[in-house]
Amino acid sequence: MTRNALDRGFGRREVLRSMLAGSLLMPGLLSELLASEVAKSDDPLAPKPGHFPAKAKRVIFVFSNGGASHMDTFDYKPELFKADGKMMGTGGGLSNQQRKLLKPLWDFKPGGECGTLVSDLFPHLREKMDDICLIKSLNGNDNEHYNATLGMHTGSFFFSRPSIGSWVSYGLGTENQNLPSFIALAPQMPYAGTQIFNNDFLPAYHQGVRVLGGKEPIADLNRRTTERGLQELELGFADVLNNRHLHERANDSELSARIRSFETAFHMQTDAPEAFDVGKEDDETLAKYGLKRGESEGFGWQCLVARRLAERGVRFIELVDGSSSHNWDQHGNMAEHADHAKVIDQPLAGLLQDLKDRGMLDETLVVWTTEFGRTPGVDGEKGRGHHSACFSSWMAGGGVKGGISYGSTDEIGATVAEDGVHVHDFHATILHLLGIDHTRLTYRNAGRDYRLTDVHGKVVKDILV
Amino acid sequence: MPSLNRLRRCLIAIVATTLILGACSFARADEEPLFFRGLNLSGPEVVIDGNIWEGSDSKSYICKDNPFENQKVPLVPPTDSERAKMIRSSRYGGNRVELNNLPLGPYTVFLYVWEDNNAENFAVSVNGTKVLDHNSGAAGHWDKLGPWPVTVKKDGKIVLTSKGGAANFSGIEVWRGNYDGLGKPISEEELAFFEKRIRPLLANRCYECHSAEATEVEGDLLVDSRATLQRGGANGPAVLPGDAKRSLLIEAVRYENDDMQMPPDEKLSDEEIADLVRWVEIGAPDPRSTATKHLGKRIDIDTARQFWSLKPIANPAVPDVKHTDWPRSYIDRFVLAKMEEHDFTPATDADKRVLIRRATYDLTGLPPSPQEVEAFLADDSEEAFANVVERLLDSPRYGERWGRHWLDVVRYADTAGDNSDFPIPQIYLYRDWVINAFNRDLPYDEFVRDQLAGDLRGGDTEEQRVERLIATGYLANSRRFGSRVDDYPQHLTIEDTIDNLGRSFLGMTVSCARCHDHKFDPITNRDYYGLYGIFHSTRYPWPGIELDQKQRDFVPLVSPDKVAESEQASIARGKEQKKLDDQVKKLKDLLAKASKEDKPDAEQKLKQAEQLAKQHRELPPLFETVYAVSEAQTQEDVAIQMKGDPARPGDIVPRRFLTVLGGQELPSNAQVSGREQLADWILADDNPLTSRVMANRIWQYHFGRGIAPTPNDFGKQGKPPTHPELLDYVATQFVSGGWSIKAMHRLIMLSRTYQQSSVRDAEAVLQDPTNEWLSGYPRRRLDAEAIRDTLLMHGNNLDLSVSGEHPFPPQHSWKFTQHNPFKANYDTNHRSVYMMTQRIQRHPFLAIFDGADPSTSTATRMSTTTPLQALYLLNDPFVHEQSIRLAERIVTQASDDESRVNFAYQLLFARAPTPEEMRATTEFLTSVRELLRANGVDPAHIDTGAWQSSVRSLFRLNEFVYLD
Repeated sequence: MTRNALDRGFGRREVLRSMLAGSLLMPGLLSELLASEVAKSDDPLAPKPGHFPAKAKRVIFVFSNGGASHMDTFDYKPELFKADGKMMGTGGGLSNQQRKLLKPLWDFKPGGECGTLVSDLFPHLREKMDDICLIKSLNGNDNEHYNATLGMHTGSFFFSRPSIGSWVSYGLGTENQNLPSFIALAPQMPYAGTQIFNNDFLPAYHQGVRVLGGKEPIADLNRRTTERGLQELELGFADVLNNRHLHERANDSELSARIRSFETAFHMQTDAPEAFDVGKEDDETLAKYGLKRGESEGFGWQCLVARRLAERGVRFIELVDGSSSHNWDQHGNMAEHADHAKVIDQPLAGLLQDLKDRGMLDETLVVWTTEFGRTPGVDGEKGRGHHSACFSSWMAGGGVKGGISYGSTDEIGATVAEDGVHVHDFHATILHLLGIDHTRLTYRNAGRDYRLTDVHGKVVKDILV
Repeated sequence: MPSLNRLRRCLIAIVATTLILGACSFARADEEPLFFRGLNLSGPEVVIDGNIWEGSDSKSYICKDNPFENQKVPLVPPTDSERAKMIRSSRYGGNRVELNNLPLGPYTVFLYVWEDNNAENFAVSVNGTKVLDHNSGAAGHWDKLGPWPVTVKKDGKIVLTSKGGAANFSGIEVWRGNYDGLGKPISEEELAFFEKRIRPLLANRCYECHSAEATEVEGDLLVDSRATLQRGGANGPAVLPGDAKRSLLIEAVRYENDDMQMPPDEKLSDEEIADLVRWVEIGAPDPRSTATKHLGKRIDIDTARQFWSLKPIANPAVPDVKHTDWPRSYIDRFVLAKMEEHDFTPATDADKRVLIRRATYDLTGLPPSPQEVEAFLADDSEEAFANVVERLLDSPRYGERWGRHWLDVVRYADTAGDNSDFPIPQIYLYRDWVINAFNRDLPYDEFVRDQLAGDLRGGDTEEQRVERLIATGYLANSRRFGSRVDDYPQHLTIEDTIDNLGRSFLGMTVSCARCHDHKFDPITNRDYYGLYGIFHSTRYPWPGIELDQKQRDFVPLVSPDKVAESEQASIARGKEQKKLDDQVKKLKDLLAKASKEDKPDAEQKLKQAEQLAKQHRELPPLFETVYAVSEAQTQEDVAIQMKGDPARPGDIVPRRFLTVLGGQELPSNAQVSGREQLADWILADDNPLTSRVMANRIWQYHFGRGIAPTPNDFGKQGKPPTHPELLDYVATQFVSGGWSIKAMHRLIMLSRTYQQSSVRDAEAVLQDPTNEWLSGYPRRRLDAEAIRDTLLMHGNNLDLSVSGEHPFPPQHSWKFTQHNPFKANYDTNHRSVYMMTQRIQRHPFLAIFDGADPSTSTATRMSTTTPLQALYLLNDPFVHEQSIRLAERIVTQASDDESRVNFAYQLLFARAPTPEEMRATTEFLTSVRELLRANGVDPAHIDTGAWQSSVRSLFRLNEFVYLD
């Protein structure tokens, strides 16, 4: 499925020819250009095998900001409906004061052949439950948005550490050298800001590239020289001088790598906008994502672009839903969950369907998660507080069992009842599906071999195909 | 249930017997304690550890707190079912329990608490005396707190209370006499069984890793005493007396758990396992009543100091070399000796143009001007290069460059790093202090002292006093965390201090010893808390946080008298502000009620009042403050935090220095934080690290790589020096030169080693690809700041005036939260060192070009090559803007292409173009002009257009961003 640069036969000569295509300018330089050959050096982003054969080749990691409630979405709690207004068990808000329990506002109905119960917040996703592995016993360490978000992305709840996408890029490289290995489609800034797609101490190759959408999805992607052919000319000229410089310096591999980086950048200018342009998709496909022709923003656009990037061999694609200031954080009124669910329900269902239709779901791991769940007790007037003790997330494709639910919570969704999955376990499992042993993916920094999972993490074997 | 009733009857009988026996022994000697009363505060009567506990209907206590129960929460660690039932039913709200009708005498009290959802911090008091600060841990966590000895007086009462966060009191256990809480008397038969079958087994098969005598304890578990075995280790209690099935010890020896098979080398025999099971089943009777304690890693100083970085600094003999005509300095002889040892020969001397470009970037981060290059070329004297070095060292640009290196190491940022990333408008003073310190060549020992204890040093002049105060911005700059105030994780801020201090000054990863002894280096957990006490005794300024937005504890720049004076003024200001605000309110009400005619007038008045109130609110502060530290209100040693958890205090350790570096201690009860002493210890003559570490850093910034390649880690996980004798030589020179950093530049730059060409022969590159033996100067890419500053310089718009404060929003307008954190990019044409740097949001340009990480110490800048960097140089508006500006300079400089090309090359590369380059460039210009013409560009713009294009190309060249 991937159309990477090598498939298309993009060698250096082709690059140069394309730069000078149709032009008889600089005749003296052209021959010199084509005569020079650059020594290849080790490319830190070249595709690398994992520790063992992988089920998933890439990840689409969807993060819903603010803390989506588990008992209102995927974790059906009949007792909580009955106990509405009662005082019992753990409370709400951020303290352990007893609060009145608040019943979910939405009915639950079975979805798919597996019959997993999903609330009316997700009518489209409910139909896809046969492809989804629901995890109802996820848990983390912190009830603050910032820290929980950081933890969900880096395994560290306080300190800055490399993001999971950077770790995956570091571990596996990427299949398309003309696109970044780790792309975060984040039109708005999530909690903890750029840290959630930061490479931190890993080399900058593995930095998540933020895409905002709109006219220039990646910073400095658009040509600023408007004269046709001018940039090609400039690059050709620089290439000549760079090659002379290189030859006088014993073909220093760092220098030649930098020469190549301009070729890659040159191609990114055309390849990347093409990847972000959904205009060529047919109406049927657009409809799956609930997209109208001409739309180039919104969560549907993010999902469709994710599929396009997956097709093109990008290793880790993150979709950020909402922002630090507009999101699922309903302290005052749970009814607003409906607005946020509506934004992602159809596009996510469409993404799963589209990947499946194209035979890509098996090798693409789709993950949906949030930083924590919400309290069974009321917060504010009709809202719920932050709850990291248990919450729901799901995975699909890429080597996980569809149509199952893993783990459970107590009667009111206050604590894990069985088979808890800590954030570290969640990460270990994602890495495992990619063929990576989370204990062996390490990077030495300041005297320590760091891991995404710190010293924790257990692969949840029961959900693997 | 009949069976339970039967059990109860039996137990009552047993208890009755014990009571009698116990009473006897109690009468006989104080040392035999007696179970007196158990109380399940919420719920029915239960049986725990064989003792009957009264239920909440008991008449022997008073508690008005709310009962609360959640039996669904899994307990951590797990325990037997009766105890679990008792724990999970508790009382909260108020937290006062009064036990009454107690006979006079000594008692020991235990309190069971647990957490049902989110951790809480609270203090527990017994009879009005605080006995403990407790953190209740995550959901399900429980503790048996105590033992607390208490003497019951005439009132016959024991009162337990808590203060702070909501506590869940589950149960209370009271013993007569002094009781360690560990068990009951053992029968002779049990004793014999233990001594014969169990003790030898534990000693032979477990003690090696699980006893006080172990070199290193595994899993935090000691099995050499009853208390430690039952308390257990990292995974919870190892033994639940009476319950073999749920005892981790049994699980481990049975090899039931893949992750915990003990002993790991060989499984015990079936017979041995059966003995252990039987022992646990009969209640794990254990005479080893004195709790043991592992004092942590014992450091054998002599062995530890065999490691290269901890060896005393030698003053090594300068080696002999074969090519005696090559060396110009001792450095050269050290380097050449290694080259010869590995069959390399030095590269040729660098061309003068290359050398001046190298030196100028090295010392100032900027390119030399064509005039400077010409002057150097024209200077045939022996001292020509030395003169260049002196000129550069005298330039204020020097401090901006080398100050930036230090700011990398100390992870300087203009914001605090908490969840809202609060701005710190005052911290720029520290940044400027660092820059100035380099410019005036403040000796490194003074540099260290000022940053650690400048506030305690005073000064010969007021100016010096203030400067030293500002220098402690180094400590204040430690990272802040989270959003909350009441449970602010100060231990993490202190960790950030210790982590940075260890790396910056000592090249040691000290903070690795926060939770346990350092895995690789001779640094113990106790060492860490010895340092911790010093910073616990230091007051850090509060930069603001989501739930407490106001700055406090900043240090005033004026004298204490002046501060006292201003207090009055401050109160007056407050009153005045209130008056003005009230007036606004009043006028608003009036306006609301005003008739149509009166409205314009009322509006006018309101506007004026609002203006006045605003003006007054925005008055400058009464006195300037700095982001600096001071002594805390109390100075004291602190307890070890077990596993790095402040809620699990261990032994109190005296404030002191790392054992392996001397372990100097503060006098006990010293009424100082100990920061001055710490600076002394760091700078002590026999501390081999301080001078080595800094000398190595200086070397690194000249060569792109340290003699020891991991400047922040001189431990076992770091890389050893390629030239250990050379490192000791430069370290020795550093100290004997009075810790002068500028003297080090001279020493290094005037060596022939530094002045080699970067072009090595192909064979050398093949044999030594990373150039460890320095058979040539290591070529390197300019860092982010140098690239940006150079672009500004060539565009003639680099602003070299004093930069000063950042344009942060005024403090009274701050309302930052984790939802809407502080986030800004301030455009500036000042040098990059003056750009506003946020702790948790990387500046996009710096992120692309491997800038320093503002959240942790950066010892070495990486040098990655990415397409994003190329895209930046292709399309970023800044690059295009600078190209336009430079093209303008070039075309006004001369009218013919040849002169212009010459000018451009001199400017950008400090050299003239070769004939081929001249040809290529002019041909390129012709081609561009042709293209622009063909595309219908206005003929008036074609010439500059072609030059802009040319400049953009030159900006992208390797020669532009690489230093030979």
